[in-house]
Amino acid sequence: MQDFLELSVSAAASGCVYGLVALAYLLMIRPTGIINFAVGEWAMVAAFGGYLLLSRFEWPYPLGMAAVLGFMFLVGWATERIAVRPLVERGAPLLAPILALLGMLVVFREVISVSFPPDPHPVPYPFGLGRLELGPVGGSYQSFFIIAVTLLVFVAVWLFFERTVAGKSFEAVAIHRRAAALMGINLSRVTALSFAGGAGAAGLAGLLVSPNISAHYLMGVPLAIQGFTALVIGGVGRVEGALLGGLLLAFAEQMTTRYAPIPSGYAQGVPLLLLMIFLLLRPTGLLRSREAKA
Amino acid sequence: MKRFLAVLALALVGGVASAQDTIRIGVITDRVGVSKPYSEPATEGLIFGAEEINRRGGVLGRKIELLIEDDQSRPDISAALARKLIDQGALFIISMSLTPATQQQQTVTMEAKTPQMTPMNSGDTLTTQLPNPYFWQTGPLGSIQIATLLAHARAKSLKRVALITDNSDLGQLLGRFFKAGLEKSGIQVVAEEVVPRGATTATPQMQKIRAANPDAMFMAGVLTAENVLIFKAYREFGLKFPIHSSYNLSVPVYMSVAKGLIDGVTFVDAYDPEKPEVKAFEAAYKKATGKDPFNLHGYGYDGIMMVAEAIRRAGSTDKEKIRAAMQSLSYAGVMGARGMKYSFPAGKRAGFDPNGMVVRVYEGDKQGRVVHVGQK
Amino acid sequence: MSALRWLAAFAVLAALPFFLGSYYNDVYRKLLLWITLALGYNFLFGICGQVAFSHFAFYGVGAYSIVIFLFQFDLPFPIAIVLGVALCVLVAAAVAIPSTRLEGFYLALATLALAQLFIVVLNEGGAVTGGTGGLANYRLPDVFGLRIAGPWYTVVIVALLLGTLAVLLRLDRSWFGRACRAVRDNPQAAAAMGVDVARTKVIAFALTSALAGVAGMVYAFVDNTVNPPIFGLDNAFLILFMVIVGGAGRHAGAVVGAILLFLLPFFLSPLIGHHHVLVFGVLVVAAMLLQPRGLIGIYDALRRRLA
Repeated sequence: MQDFLELSVSAAASGCVYGLVALAYLLMIRPTGIINFAVGEWAMVAAFGGYLLLSRFEWPYPLGMAAVLGFMFLVGWATERIAVRPLVERGAPLLAPILALLGMLVVFREVISVSFPPDPHPVPYPFGLGRLELGPVGGSYQSFFIIAVTLLVFVAVWLFFERTVAGKSFEAVAIHRRAAALMGINLSRVTALSFAGGAGAAGLAGLLVSPNISAHYLMGVPLAIQGFTALVIGGVGRVEGALLGGLLLAFAEQMTTRYAPIPSGYAQGVPLLLLMIFLLLRPTGLLRSREAKA
Repeated sequence: MKRFLAVLALALVGGVASAQDTIRIGVITDRVGVSKPYSEPATEGLIFGAEEINRRGGVLGRKIELLIEDDQSRPDISAALARKLIDQGALFIISMSLTPATQQQQTVTMEAKTPQMTPMNSGDTLTTQLPNPYFWQTGPLGSIQIATLLAHARAKSLKRVALITDNSDLGQLLGRFFKAGLEKSGIQVVAEEVVPRGATTATPQMQKIRAANPDAMFMAGVLTAENVLIFKAYREFGLKFPIHSSYNLSVPVYMSVAKGLIDGVTFVDAYDPEKPEVKAFEAAYKKATGKDPFNLHGYGYDGIMMVAEAIRRAGSTDKEKIRAAMQSLSYAGVMGARGMKYSFPAGKRAGFDPNGMVVRVYEGDKQGRVVHVGQK
Repeated sequence: MSALRWLAAFAVLAALPFFLGSYYNDVYRKLLLWITLALGYNFLFGICGQVAFSHFAFYGVGAYSIVIFLFQFDLPFPIAIVLGVALCVLVAAAVAIPSTRLEGFYLALATLALAQLFIVVLNEGGAVTGGTGGLANYRLPDVFGLRIAGPWYTVVIVALLLGTLAVLLRLDRSWFGRACRAVRDNPQAAAAMGVDVARTKVIAFALTSALAGVAGMVYAFVDNTVNPPIFGLDNAFLILFMVIVGGAGRHAGAVVGAILLFLLPFFLSPLIGHHHVLVFGVLVVAAMLLQPRGLIGIYDALRRRLA
C-alpha cells in the first residue's frame, strides 16, 4: 500500500508534466485548430534556459523561473509570427502551419544542438533533492512542487476561460472563428496570445521536469508524444481534460511497469497499446467540449 | 592559354601525387544523432592521435589523412559512407558511431575486403554475428565488464541481485550480457528492469527492485539522463544496497549531471588515471588543444594508434597484409589497466584484454582510484 | 505513358548503375528505395489526405518478414515472398480497418503508437528478430541458379520503383484516385456523391502499406542486414518532410522531395558539418511559407510564366 501511494505521487508528478504539455497543445488547438508538435522543443528550450540561468549563472530560483517563462512567451509569440501568421493570412489549409511548425521543431532542436555540448546539462531543484512524508504518502520534494505548480496553473487557466471576458473571447473564437471576428474579437491577437500561452505552458513543463531528466537536446520529442497522447485521452474540448489525460497516461505507464506481470521491456508497449484501443473506442477523448454537449 | 593548361596539368598531377603521398584512413562518426555525446569526444581523441603520428613523421614515411564522415546514427547511410571511403582509397575504416551502424558497415567491408575496426563499440555480437575477417573491435566487451565487476564483488558473495538497463541498442545488448554473466556465476537475477528513453521517473522500476530486496544492483544502461533518474530514485528511497555499473558511469558527465548522487557507486572502467601512458596522453592532449581529455578521447586515440601500427607492421598499403598485421597485433595503449595489451589471439577479433578492465568507485562526485583490476 | 516510354525509362534507370562506382551505386539504390517509399506515402498522405506515421513500420514488416521466413524458418524463396506480402497486407488491413475511422491527426497518433510498438517488438523479439542488433549474415538466394548482386540488384530496385509508380499512376487515374482526392478535400461531399469514405481510406492505407512492405523486402538484401534504427520514427518524419518539400499530392513532387532530402546531408555535411540538419529544418519551414505546393509548385509557376 505504501508503495502504491508513493508510486501515485510519482505518477501524479509525471502526469502533471504531461498535462502541462497537453495544455500547451490545447491552448493553441482551441482557437486555431493548429497542432503544434514543437511544444516538446519549447520544453527543451526552457530546460536549457533553466540550465543557463539557474546552474551556470546561479540566479535565485523564482527570478530564473520568471525570466525563463517570460522568454518562452516571447518565443511562442515569435514562432506564431514567423511560421503561422503568414500562412493563416494567406488562407492556407490547416495542415500548412502544422507542417511549418514541424520544420520549426527541427530548427529549435538544432539551434540548441549546435550551441551546447551534447551531454545532458544539470538543472537544479528549487528545494533540493529530498523526500517529504505526508502521513502514509511519500514522495520527492520536486514531485510535490510539480503537482502544486501544475494545479495552480490549471486553476488559473480554468478561471481565465470561465470567468474573464478575455477568456470568453478565446472560447468564442474556438467555437466559431468567423462569428467571433464579426463580434469584434481580434483574431490575430487571440492567435498570438494562444501561442505565447502555449509556449509558456510547455516551457513550464520543461522547467519542472528538467531537474529530474536534465536538459538534453533529444528530450523534446518524447515529451511532445507523451503530451499529445495525454491530450487525445483527455480530449481537446476542455482545459481540465488535458490534466486528466496526462494523469491517466502517467498512471497507466507507471502502474504497468510496477504491477503488470510482463517483462520490463514489453511494459513500455502497454500504454501504446492502451492508447490505440482508446483511440478506437473513444476518439473524441474523455471530456467532450461544450458545443458537443449543446 | 598554354600557361593556363600547364598550370591545370600541374595541379592535376599535383593532386594525384599528394593523394598518393598520404595514408588515407576513413572515420565514420555521428555529429547529429543519438551517439553524438560519445562519438564526438572519441573522434577528437582520434584526430589528436593522427596529428601526433604525423608530427612524428607519419606511417611508412607518409602522412595520415583522415577522411571523416557523419552518418547521423543512420545505419543505411553509414554503410553507404563506408563504400564512399573505400572508393576514396581509405586503407582502414574506423567506426565511431552507433553499434547497428558499425554492423551495417561490416556488410560492406566484408564484401570489399577492407579492414575496419571500432575502438569504442562494446556489444559482444559485433564480431560474432558476421564472419568478417576484416573487422576488429577493441572496446571493452559487455561480457568483460560484468566479469570484472563480479570479480571485484566476489568477496561480498552476492546471491540475489537486481539488473537495470535502458532500451537503447547498446543498453539492451549490455543488459543481455550482464544477465548471462550473472547467471553463469550462479547469481540469481531477482529483478530485471528497463527504464525507457524519455522516461520522466524511474520510481516504478526502483520500487520493484526495492521490493525484491537484492544484495546489489547492476546497471547496464548507457543513457545518461535515464541513469540519473535511477540514482535519484535510489537516493530518494534511501536505499543501501551497493550499485555496480557498466563503463557508462566512467564518462565524466556524471560528475556534473549527477552531482551528490553517485558517492560510493562502483563502476568498471577501461581507464586508469594513474597509468603512466594515460598521464603522458593527458599532458600531450592538453598541450596541443588546451582542453582536458577523458576516457572517451582515449578510445579514439588508441584506435588510430593501433591502425597506424598495423599499417607500419604490414610495411605496405596492401589491405591483405594490413589485415594479417592487425590480426597479429599486440599493442599497449592508453586504455586498459597498467601493462594491458590489445591482442587478437586464436583468430579472435575482439581485442580488449579480458583482464584489462579496472573497477573504480565514486568518492563524492569524483571518480576515485582503481580498486580492482581484471577478472581474478 | 505508353509502354515504350516505360521501357525507355527502365532501360535508362537500370543501365545507370553499371556506370557507377560501388559508392554511387549504393547511394543510387538507397535513393531509389526512398523514392519508392515517398511515392507510396504521397498517395496515402498527399492524394488521400491521411497523415500516418506507420509507413516505415510496414517497410520494416516487409524487410524482417522476408529474412525471418527465409533464414529462421528456412522456407523456400517463392513461398517466403508470398507469405511476406500476405503478412504486410494482413497487418495493414488489421491496422487500417479500425484506424482509418479516425480523423486527421488521431490517425497520426494511432500510427505513431503502432510505429513505436513495432520497434519495441523488434527490440524484444529475442532470437527471432535478433533484438537490437538485428539480423545479418545472410544473402539473397540464387534465382534460377543466378546470383544477383551489385548493379544487377539495383536493376531489381528500378523494377520495384517503376512497378510501384505504375500501380500508383493507374490507381490515381482511376475512379479510385478521384475518390481518394474527394475524400481528402471534403469527406462529407465525397460521401454525398456516393463515395464510401471509410472503404476508400482502408483500401488506400492497406495498399500503400503493402507497397511499403514489398519495398522493405527488397531493402533486406541491399546491405544484407536488418536492424531496428532504420524503421524508427526519425525516418517516418523524414518521409513526411520529403513529400511536403517536394509537393504533396504530386508524384513528381514526391520524387523531387525524396531526391533533395535524401541527398542533402551527403552534399552539405562535408561543407558545413553538423549544421546540415539546421539547414534542413529551415528548408522545410521556408518551403511551407514560400511555396506551399512544394518544389514542384515552383516548377509549375516557372512553366506557366514561360508558356
